Amino acid sequence: MQHNNSPLASAYLRFLQLARVVQALPEGMEMDANERALLEAVVLRWHENSPMTVREAIGLSQLGSPATLHKRITRLREKDMLSTLNQDGDRRAKFLIPTPRTLEYFGHLGQSMQQVQQNLAA
Amino acid sequence: MKPSLRILIETAALVLISAVLFVGFFHVNNWVFSGLEYRHGVNWVFLPAGFRVILVLIMGLPASIGIMLGTWFIDITGSETSPYVMTLLNGVVSGFTPWLVMKVLDQGERFGLHLQELTTLKLMEFTLIYAACNAVLHQLSWWLRDHNSINLWVDLWPMFIGDAVGALLMLYAFKGLLGLLKSPLPNSKIR
Repeated sequence: MQHNNSPLASAYLRFLQLARVVQALPEGMEMDANERALLEAVVLRWHENSPMTVREAIGLSQLGSPATLHKRITRLREKDMLSTLNQDGDRRAKFLIPTPRTLEYFGHLGQSMQQVQQNLAA
Repeated sequence: MKPSLRILIETAALVLISAVLFVGFFHVNNWVFSGLEYRHGVNWVFLPAGFRVILVLIMGLPASIGIMLGTWFIDITGSETSPYVMTLLNGVVSGFTPWLVMKVLDQGERFGLHLQELTTLKLMEFTLIYAACNAVLHQLSWWLRDHNSINLWVDLWPMFIGDAVGALLMLYAFKGLLGLLKSPLPNSKIR
């Protein structure tokens, strides 16, 4: 593919990308209920050794329309809660996988549940 | 027009835009936050720091050169006269620190050729590391010149906080402005 060497064109492309990132700057890094539901669905599939592709994720009609889910995936990626992975030999399918931050998040949830159970038993 | 000449003209335009924006916001900052000045050249809120982040990320090296030229212009035309070595050093540190930090953090194209791999976390990481490096290098250069009036460990903090707060304010102002414009921006993260 031929690259455009124009400094102005390059600056404009970088401006667009920076604008995308700046728009995703957190007002808070917390997830809303819809994002959490999508994240749980994705992580469950990953846990079952059958990671979900982006195409499958945007097809989860019970969680929203494809356009809405697409935006939600983008937000989860911006929050470093989801990452993507290409399978060797097939660049088309993009799998959604949890990040270390996601695993830490679920780890905390697990610990909290354990603590509650211990408190109830005591 | 020859491609090389066109590239040269475009690069010069980017240098000029950076210099004008940096100088302009330096004066706006002096006007708005004059009450928050810690001492000459150091402010608890320094908006041009945000312009350093934004300009260098968007324009790269031409932005650094523009910021360096802008800093020289501010130092030369300012009310306080500084030795030429200090003026020279100020400009170099002011312009090239963000570019150097970006180059180090962008090792292995972590930001992508056109920032397509940049995320909010990487942007925050870049902003804070740049603010720290900028404060350290500025204070170090002033301290090397004048050991007596600079208390490195004390003077470092206002500059770091000023740069970090100024940069964050500018980034959030940029976000607010984009929200107001509501222009459709391409999303290349997921294909």
